Amino acid sequence: MFERFTKSARAVVIGAQEEARHWHADAVGTEHLLHALLDASDPLVDAVLDGFDIDRDALRYDLDHVERGPRPPLDADALSTLGIDLDTVRRQVEDAFGPGALDRTRAGRGRGARGHIRFDRTTKKVLELTLREALRLRHRDLGPEHILLAMLHRETGAAHDLLTARGVELAAARQAVEELHRLADAS
Amino acid sequence: MSEATDVAAAASSRDPAVGLAAVASLRALLETLEELQVDNARDQGWSWQQIADVLQVSRQAVHKKYRRHGF
Repeated sequence: MFERFTKSARAVVIGAQEEARHWHADAVGTEHLLHALLDASDPLVDAVLDGFDIDRDALRYDLDHVERGPRPPLDADALSTLGIDLDTVRRQVEDAFGPGALDRTRAGRGRGARGHIRFDRTTKKVLELTLREALRLRHRDLGPEHILLAMLHRETGAAHDLLTARGVELAAARQAVEELHRLADAS
Repeated sequence: MSEATDVAAAASSRDPAVGLAAVASLRALLETLEELQVDNARDQGWSWQQIADVLQVSRQAVHKKYRRHGF
């Protein structure tokens, strides 16, 4: 289904997988997708968000709150409550076994860290709605801006909740995307 | 240990969420170190029996756990 995704839209999906892996999540959720979308700094998406006067840092703060979920297997904060300084352990181990030795082990990488991470139900929904949003606007290619529109549907979970809580709204966002495309086509 | 961690430890030692997370992380750290050491021992030509003796577990246990790692 990714054939019609633009290069930057694909980069967002890949970025979301990396984000999920970083958090040792079982699956890619829409919060990971939104994080990747913000990181991509796509000009169209940025223009739409600017139209709603969205503070990216505030949105990232919201995201970090959602994403805290499962902790990494080697959690420096948790170990510090026992008086164990993970950085010191890491340094000692790396002195003996080389850089990255701790994180290279299977145990250190944890469950979610290897192989393919599946998309959860809400992320699958976003990808499906991305196509539908593009069709609706009669756009041939699926870009990051269509991913953004897809995230504004209620059934897409965390991303929808965060975006709408900050005042982004589907109908107005669609209009903005349409307008920006028209301007781009005209120039 | 820093003052901040002292405070965190003192304030939350009876909070199960904190205590259990610490145990889980300690277990992960233990597993990580064990894997590194077993890997290293095998690289240096140690037998499963020698490794098991020092780890104070059975040879079967250590072999079963690590043979799939390919070392």
